[in-house]
Amino acid sequence: MAYVIVPRHERTQPLRIVPGYPQTPWRNPKQPLIRRPPTLSELTGPSEVAKRVKLLGGDIAGHGEAQAIGQLMHLKLRVVDEDGTPVGGTVVEIWQANGAGRYIHPNDDEHAPVDRNFYGAARLLTDERGLLELRTVKPGAYPVPTKDGWWRPPHIHFSIFGKVWLSRLVTQMYFPGEPLNGQDRILNAVPDTAARARLVARLVPPTGDPANALVFEHQIVLRGRKATPSQP
Amino acid sequence: MKKRKAVRRRLIPSGEATIGPFFPPRYVDAGANDLSQLEDRKADGEVIEIAGTVRQEDGTPLDNLVVEIWQADANGIYRHVADPRHREADTKFFGWGRAATDKEGRYAFRTIRPGAPEGRARHVNVMLMFSGLMRILKTTMFFPGEQANEADPVYRAVPKARRKLLVAREEALGRYRFDLKLRGAHETPFFDD
Repeated sequence: MAYVIVPRHERTQPLRIVPGYPQTPWRNPKQPLIRRPPTLSELTGPSEVAKRVKLLGGDIAGHGEAQAIGQLMHLKLRVVDEDGTPVGGTVVEIWQANGAGRYIHPNDDEHAPVDRNFYGAARLLTDERGLLELRTVKPGAYPVPTKDGWWRPPHIHFSIFGKVWLSRLVTQMYFPGEPLNGQDRILNAVPDTAARARLVARLVPPTGDPANALVFEHQIVLRGRKATPSQP
Repeated sequence: MKKRKAVRRRLIPSGEATIGPFFPPRYVDAGANDLSQLEDRKADGEVIEIAGTVRQEDGTPLDNLVVEIWQADANGIYRHVADPRHREADTKFFGWGRAATDKEGRYAFRTIRPGAPEGRARHVNVMLMFSGLMRILKTTMFFPGEQANEADPVYRAVPKARRKLLVAREEALGRYRFDLKLRGAHETPFFDD
């Protein structure tokens, strides 16, 4: 099955150099990026990545004495391509701050406490419906060390492989109704309003499974669609 | 009878975002930068090393930047259904690897010399993810002294004066150096797909 990848609408993707994000002007190319004809190299890609990386469970909130501090939440994530076809069997890497807004990472500073019951990372496979579920705590907001005191709203990071090299995606998911969303320099680097709205998860009625958790649904669309057979 | 054309509603790909400064260290699995074997079986072909330093505009080496590669096996076959020859792909070669740079901005892979895929010169596909990169940066590494480079469609898409920046340097037999500069003097050509 041939897969086609076409250029994206620029406004649906973030600016590369972001006002108020001081690292971006040093790291993003000055020269124009080069359009190239897609070849087999770009339209193939690693499949069965789980053979090369270790999966980490989808319940990262902990239980009982070892339960993480924060608002328990359950995320139902759906991964599809541009046809809306579920992307099953793909590796999704997930990471987030703890309930206080601190990452378990040597580069994070001591602005907020570490929760020793929370590492904040999962690596999962989507099922054949493109779904995966994550039981976690809602991440806290945190300050970005810039002079003018910018705060990141609660968000969860995703890295998704997809079917081919060009469908690889690194993105972030936001929460509905957060006052910090409107000021976040990373979310608002995407010029198109509707494209930004699609990065925000949906709060849905609790299902009772798992118990006592807020339930959020989110859809991620990877690049690529099936080639249309050429018309005679 | 009137035939109705099926209208396929197309979804818009999600917006990218930076990987940020806190990509979990455990996601760079031990051995993920060694493509020369799969499940303890040695891949076919000549083992090579690809290493380099990644810098930003002012020359500062970048720490904790994620580099991923994707390449064909020794016979130029991709382990993926879209490759017409995939059934003949080396079962001992996975083709994908991940590394993170250290404090000096250095990354390294151990892999095998790829064969030339159909219609291409031999090459390694490279992807960079980092804090402050709002989108994944994609480039392609070519091998020195390959006549096929001049005919390669991706190589040729690059303005002539910048093509040499995509060619690795062979420092010793089978040891290639491919430095990456994200911006400024000697900026690596990156692709917009």
